[in-house]
Amino acid sequence: MSNNQLAFIFSAFTSDYADHPGRNITGFESVFNDFLLQAAASADPELANFNFTENTFHKDELLTQYLTYIYNCTVSLLLRKANVFPVMTAGYSMGIYAALYDSGSVSFETGLTLIRMAYQCMKASLKGKFFGMGTIIGLNEQDIRQLTNQSSLRVEIANQNATHSFVVSGYHDDIQILLALATSEGALHTRELGVTIPYHSGYLIDGSEDFSRMILQLKISTPVTPIISLLDQHLLTTPESLSEEITRNLFNPLNWFLTMQAMQQHQISGFIECGPSKGLARNAKFVDGIKFFPLSSILP
Amino acid sequence: MATITENIRKEVKEIVYSFFADECEVDIDRINDQTSIINDLDGDSLMFLELIEIFKKKYNLDIELKVIGKYAVKHPVATIGQLIEMQLLIIENENRLMDLDH
Repeated sequence: MSNNQLAFIFSAFTSDYADHPGRNITGFESVFNDFLLQAAASADPELANFNFTENTFHKDELLTQYLTYIYNCTVSLLLRKANVFPVMTAGYSMGIYAALYDSGSVSFETGLTLIRMAYQCMKASLKGKFFGMGTIIGLNEQDIRQLTNQSSLRVEIANQNATHSFVVSGYHDDIQILLALATSEGALHTRELGVTIPYHSGYLIDGSEDFSRMILQLKISTPVTPIISLLDQHLLTTPESLSEEITRNLFNPLNWFLTMQAMQQHQISGFIECGPSKGLARNAKFVDGIKFFPLSSILP
Repeated sequence: MATITENIRKEVKEIVYSFFADECEVDIDRINDQTSIINDLDGDSLMFLELIEIFKKKYNLDIELKVIGKYAVKHPVATIGQLIEMQLLIIENENRLMDLDH
């Protein structure tokens, strides 16, 4: 593994901790609990009651984001302590805040503040209307756009995970209609995501303006490791580019599929997924030549 | 369009068994045709998609995923044995899979 150019990748919303990779890693629990207590003190006291098996807060969007962030930060710290360093990183969706922490651009607490600010600004901007997100596997982009346009659905493609795997965002009722239409059209699988904010869609443009003003008060430093943009696959190396990215990615579509390919073009030969699940590694199987290292193969 | 020979049938079965053993990190000896993909192996649609891609490449198949999706809605697959039978139908019929219902 020592000859590999590694990339760390950080996941966004994960509430499934069954078989989470940290459970067998020496020191994981201790570091995780330290972060958890810090987060309970600075973000939400409820976090202190988290438990991997019985109390995962999986129905609470904000707590779920905090917890995934805490998990990502724990793995990042353990890897760096073990002298495993990435040459670049990527944050899937809201995983970008963990990428900022990993790169030294923000403190752990500032990352939590960013999560809270983004959530609250977006929630307020939606003015009580019902929004949601969903996944469609088995149709291509043209199929999804056609279904959306034919029925004038208020839904946008929010992310492409693979040639036939998409995330959509929009009005909740229209998401449900689109998923039903997609199934009739031959989608192999559709699923509504348990979120009420239509991330990475134009519906969040108003909220993102508030967010961009609020983050001016936060300290964002030059990253020690470049972070790749999921919007245009450029490398982000300055505080200004990072601030712009975390604002723009709220209301613009991401492309994880292109991002993985772009990382390959940067000679990345190995990936480490830092979140609790294997979701990103599994998506990467649709990109030829991608190699993921299980955490257990790196940390004792 | 391919004629399903005993060799192809054997090959498809071996690929499916070893794919799920690998993906789901279970001993291949614990998998049989009655094994439930969801309940016993915790399998999901991404695995199904991945497996289809493997067979598309291996047998150079001309089939759209949504044709498989439409067929799967009418003929749901729950077990490894049913999945193997569906893969054989896909290999045999490709884009004419839906014609089987007419």
